[in-house]
Amino acid sequence: MRQKIGDQPRIVGFLCKWCSYAGADLAGTSRKKYPSNLTVLKVPCSGRIDPLFVLKGLRLGFDGVLVSGCHPGDCHYQTGNYRARRRIVITKKFLEYLGIPEERIQASWVSAAEGTKFARVVADVVENVRAIGPNNLFNNEG
Amino acid sequence: MEKELRQEAGKLLDDGTVDCIIGFAPGSLKFTTTPLIIEDVGELNNLIVNRFINNNLAKYLLEVTGRVGIIAKGCDSRSIVSLIQDKQITRQDIVILGIPCSGLIDLKKVEKLLAKERDEINDIVVVADKVSITAAGEKREVALSSVLFEHCLGCELQIPKEYDLLIQGPAAEICNYEVSRKHIKELKKMSPDQRWAYWREQFGHCIRCYACRQVCPACFCERCFVEESQPRWVSPVSQWQDNLIFQAIRNIHVAGRCTDCGECERVCPVNIPLRSLSKEMYDLVEEMFNYKTGMDVNAPSLMTAYELEEVEGLIR
Repeated sequence: MRQKIGDQPRIVGFLCKWCSYAGADLAGTSRKKYPSNLTVLKVPCSGRIDPLFVLKGLRLGFDGVLVSGCHPGDCHYQTGNYRARRRIVITKKFLEYLGIPEERIQASWVSAAEGTKFARVVADVVENVRAIGPNNLFNNEG
Repeated sequence: MEKELRQEAGKLLDDGTVDCIIGFAPGSLKFTTTPLIIEDVGELNNLIVNRFINNNLAKYLLEVTGRVGIIAKGCDSRSIVSLIQDKQITRQDIVILGIPCSGLIDLKKVEKLLAKERDEINDIVVVADKVSITAAGEKREVALSSVLFEHCLGCELQIPKEYDLLIQGPAAEICNYEVSRKHIKELKKMSPDQRWAYWREQFGHCIRCYACRQVCPACFCERCFVEESQPRWVSPVSQWQDNLIFQAIRNIHVAGRCTDCGECERVCPVNIPLRSLSKEMYDLVEEMFNYKTGMDVNAPSLMTAYELEEVEGLIR
């Protein structure tokens, strides 16, 4: 669908504004190195992430989707991430049943203090997704 | 059962307990029924109960106003409870007339079994666990389970649990969970790539008529995401990619609301095995969160509730 540019594989990350996005910031300001394959989208809370975002990301040709928010118990809005958790695991499992490998959809809790963890998570996700190859799910020829 | 139901419905209308009754009337074709909304006692004779009362009437509760009486099979009652849990309707406004159900007959299966069309079939009579079918002068007896809907074979609530008035009657043992999950089991034996190819092929047939959405009592959004244009999530044009995304997201959105009533599959004009999606979601929900839709009117709905510690293994 969209022309593949930049580093392969391409990952889209939905990061919660309060924790993971700040965690990504910290990774940057503390000069942690992580792969540049990630396209970051900031969301107000992981609870804002509709499973639709995940599929839309894959439809647009991203090879993997990362969903990240505050650790359980740390949600800025008290319960957003608990609800996100139910939604994201259901999405993962259901899409696996449809035939989308689970590795394409990954979730992680990253706090604002975990710059190092953020860098590691991104590196892991990229490696995981690279292992299963490019996303040809929605290609007409595929 | 029919007589008693008419009587009770009449009483409710007479004493003004309800403004209308939602039930079933004979359809325009043989072996069909159509939803019926009665406001007048005189129309009670149209109210019927048989083996073809397919529609999940809970859908109509979202559209009628005032106090409503509704005829509910087990699966309908679960959808009603689910709507109450989601605060789409209030319990006080509804009088549930529960009826026991021994499974509904899938006419497509009958037609296939006999290699006859609807018009050639004269009569279908259920006697205990056998069905005797008269077609073109010939009488044939088959096992009831061979002509029931697959979702009926997987039924978990033949007699409604939540009701105001239960019409007494038999509810024969009909369940066969193996058969009810057969197709899903076959799909699960495939590799992910094969499954994707299978669904891709299936959704190539989809014409995006949205019958599945319109008939589903769990699909109660005022504005469906497929109709949003800013941003436009999926193309309104029928292409397999968007058709598949539509159905996948529809299933995820109704997770914990779907009661496996099988209506989506029944109404699909191009015969996509939609129940093989919704039933899998239904089972996933039960397996992961130990949640059964529409069984407890006081429980919070699946996606509004959470446990402090659950499913962490799936998150890194």
